[in-house]
Amino acid sequence: MTSQLESLEHTWLSTTLRDSPNVFLYPTILAFHTLGLAFFVGISSAVALRVLGAAPALPLAPFRKFYPVMWLGFAINAVSGVLLLVIEPTKFLTMVDFYVKLLAIAGAVLCNRLLYVRHFRTPAPIDPNPLPRRDRVLAVIILFFWAAAITAGRLTAYDDPHAQWQTAVGTAIVTAALLVGGFVGVRLWRAITRVGGPERPAPQPVDPRRAALSGSPQETR
Amino acid sequence: MEAFLRYWMRWPSVEHLIYRYLWVWGVCQSLHFVGMALLIGTVGILDLRLLGMAKQFPVAAIKKLIPWGVFGFVLCLSTGVLFITGIYANINIHPYVVLTSDVFLQLKLLFVLLAGVNLLLFYVTGMSKAVDRLEAGEDAPPLAKIFAGASLGLWIAVMYFARLIPSGKFQP
Repeated sequence: MTSQLESLEHTWLSTTLRDSPNVFLYPTILAFHTLGLAFFVGISSAVALRVLGAAPALPLAPFRKFYPVMWLGFAINAVSGVLLLVIEPTKFLTMVDFYVKLLAIAGAVLCNRLLYVRHFRTPAPIDPNPLPRRDRVLAVIILFFWAAAITAGRLTAYDDPHAQWQTAVGTAIVTAALLVGGFVGVRLWRAITRVGGPERPAPQPVDPRRAALSGSPQETR
Repeated sequence: MEAFLRYWMRWPSVEHLIYRYLWVWGVCQSLHFVGMALLIGTVGILDLRLLGMAKQFPVAAIKKLIPWGVFGFVLCLSTGVLFITGIYANINIHPYVVLTSDVFLQLKLLFVLLAGVNLLLFYVTGMSKAVDRLEAGEDAPPLAKIFAGASLGLWIAVMYFARLIPSGKFQP
């Protein structure tokens, strides 16, 4: 295994990329990996958020048009990811975290595919509101896999497994705190705005004589 | 002025937080990327719709996703401020030096600023309200398309230059 990794490390592509005098080559590959992530994960997350009930007036079917953009992002990431792997094969292929990342991506892609087959290949004329529970569960799984993939991807930057574990647990705790805080916050905000909003006491019937005195056309209606 | 900035930027408590807890930097990095994905996923979809992709979307309905993009931006901004004020703990170089000498960081911040100006103009020129009236299948006005294209280009530039920041030259 080690000898295979070493031979991979000594291939033409690997040495060319690694020993390139151009200091921008490596960060540019990284930048493309980031751009692909933004569009792939970003659009997929937007679909998941819509499925979960954000922007309910947004029809689902047109999201189909964005799937090519998503898959373009995926393709960019697959190519740039392979290049990054070829530069340091021993580092990545001996790292458990790297396989966690790959599994998370595979899970997210699979769930996206399931969602696509269920809603976008033959779109329904009217979207049910809320969407079926099964789809909402799928959306939560997609968001979870993306968060896991991003975190695991970030962790490949660290060589120390201890630091990786600490950061992974820290990210899980902070994310959970943000989610719970956000959930409670939104509930509170809705409760507060509802007090001043539609649940105000119904306007009292206006005495026509007083309305005539005040001269407001709305009150005479 | 420089002394004041040098003191304020190397905000000691942020630095100590990063020194003390191994995971703070990494957690913030992950959240920075999560915020980026939320921002691009929502604002990017709006920009692409205005540019003519997926015209079956009524624009006002897409805008309901924008608060998630704002949340993503807030995540990026807060973690980004932490990266700058706490950078001494990571690379032992003063943030003032990094900010004044890393041209890629400067470019990234410039493009963030330009994206903000672009957004402001989108509102000030009345385009934001104009596109709200766009129903399914309707084409956006040319000016709105310019704003949308600029927004996409600027955010892509932000992400690109962000990745070049560690390659910047720091001259203490």
